[in-house]
Amino acid sequence: MKFAIALFSAAHAPSSRRALLFAQAALAGGHEIVRLFFYQDGVYNASGSIVTPQDELDLPKQWRAFVTEHQLDGVVCIAAALRRGVLDAEEAGRYQREAVSVGAPWELSGLGQLHDAVQDADRLICFGGA
Amino acid sequence: MSTLHVLSHSPFGDDRLTSCLRVIGANDALLLTGDAVYALQPNTAPFNSLNARSLKLFVLAEDAQARAIEVPDWAKAIDYPAFVELSIHYDKVNSWL
Amino acid sequence: MPRSLLIISRQAPWSGPNAREALDIVLAGGAFDLPIGLLFLDDGVFQLAAKQDAKALQQKDLSANLQALPMFGVEELFVCADSAAERGLDPSRFSLEEAQVLAAEQITALIDRYDQVITL
Repeated sequence: MKFAIALFSAAHAPSSRRALLFAQAALAGGHEIVRLFFYQDGVYNASGSIVTPQDELDLPKQWRAFVTEHQLDGVVCIAAALRRGVLDAEEAGRYQREAVSVGAPWELSGLGQLHDAVQDADRLICFGGA
Repeated sequence: MSTLHVLSHSPFGDDRLTSCLRVIGANDALLLTGDAVYALQPNTAPFNSLNARSLKLFVLAEDAQARAIEVPDWAKAIDYPAFVELSIHYDKVNSWL
Repeated sequence: MPRSLLIISRQAPWSGPNAREALDIVLAGGAFDLPIGLLFLDDGVFQLAAKQDAKALQQKDLSANLQALPMFGVEELFVCADSAAERGLDPSRFSLEEAQVLAAEQITALIDRYDQVITL
């Protein structure tokens, strides 16, 4: 089965961890993830600026490792990201902002990518809220 | 068509469970995750309303365990592989974000 | 056959970015000519209340975007009758005349009809 997984909550939200565990279980079960799409506060999961205490779960780091290891398509909604100060080098340059907080393996793109994933996948699973 | 509804908010002071139960269909199922598992706290209105309906009810085991919530025999505790399977068994997943 | 997507918008217009970000998903889908539906449920029905004044909160007026939905090819618009009634709202006064008012069982059937759903 092909899954599209959309995440709407920040890295510290329990739903974000659940999204990662679900994604891992989907691959372990032999399924395919056509895209991970981060929207609303979900964009924070792609931030390289988050500093987690050593004895706590570092979800952004885990997401990065997961996406890299499995060569998944990890897309961050650009409008949601800009609004929340999650910028890649290109956007930081464009808007003359100092901090660059997102880079590979994440790609900033539009909501069209979410719709594209919904059309391509057999199942859309959204995580967020709490 | 069938839908797996997923809740993750506490039912106390939140209307997602009430709204979900209003629109959930006969072929649908409900999965409680996160604080939504508090709906299985005995002697509460959410517990009683879930018990009163013959609903296919699933609970994410780790969330019940963390909160010391006992899963009654009319609900099924599941792990992530089972969550993946459920999402396939039902035609779509509706997470109440 | 493209997959159809139902967006269920449950938040009041200015309780944060939810209402607008839900609408953005709908507009993007419409722009790509996809079959998109939009249901206003729970506090989402407040988005349709008449005579709102976004400027009082230095916010963007959502109702202009809502009115534009049919122009984006999004004509499947729905409102939950119970949610409106509970909140003392009269659907006949809503700013979006095209929105069909649905009872609970009709909403069950509506969700069933769509291939995918996002509830935010």
